Amino acid sequence: MEQEFRIEERVEGAIPVITVIGEVDVATAPQLRESLHAVIARGESTIVLDLLAVTFLDSTALGVLVGALKRCRELGGELHVVVDDARIRKIFEITGLHKVFPLAHALAEVGAQ
Amino acid sequence: MIDGPDLAGSDTLGDGDCVTLIFPARGDLVVLARLVASAISTRVGFDIEELEDLRLAVGELCLLALQGSDARHGDLRLEFTVSPASLDIACTLAGAAPARGAPNADGPAADELSEQILAALVDEHGRERQDGLVRAWLRKRRKGPLA
Repeated sequence: MEQEFRIEERVEGAIPVITVIGEVDVATAPQLRESLHAVIARGESTIVLDLLAVTFLDSTALGVLVGALKRCRELGGELHVVVDDARIRKIFEITGLHKVFPLAHALAEVGAQ
Repeated sequence: MIDGPDLAGSDTLGDGDCVTLIFPARGDLVVLARLVASAISTRVGFDIEELEDLRLAVGELCLLALQGSDARHGDLRLEFTVSPASLDIACTLAGAAPARGAPNADGPAADELSEQILAALVDEHGRERQDGLVRAWLRKRRKGPLA
């Protein structure tokens, strides 16, 4: 029953890239919030969030992303979200958040690999 | 060969069938609701896109039922009811006290996002508080003939 959930962090050039693997829901979103907050607390204001390997995303996860986006923008930066799966993109679209987040289909679009 | 009860049945759910799932109101167990929703969606003849919609919608239903409650000692009870026209799902939180303190102010109100998602994915939905219980429900209409 347990789905694999993992968060990996690396730096591409000067930009931190957070890669999320698995299902992001009410149970796992707090881990994502901690990761994002930790990076922002280090003084990073622009982050690439790689959701290419995410298989499920709920409103709790969206709330975490919106919170992180606000923090990044307050610091003059940006939270770039990379998501290609049509089902995951659909969740951004039906909540109108596709107009709020800079969504990319591939890491290369935001200067990462 | 030993004869046992015929439990094989059919691989469909029909008019009037009702499946009930009760589990401790913990976030890490909401995945159970999604798994059952997937299985039932298949059995009532929903296609893969409808199945994925219901999987997400049921998770949001659980979140709505949990909103504003200290659910540490409560149970979530889900009832999946099949009718000729629709699959109805109701989620009730029982045994939980109202939450103390401010809600998480990380982003937009969580129930606002849940409501938006449900509005887009199902035909009808609602939430009411009755006798101290929070009950959230949804209805997804069936396109085809009875399974």
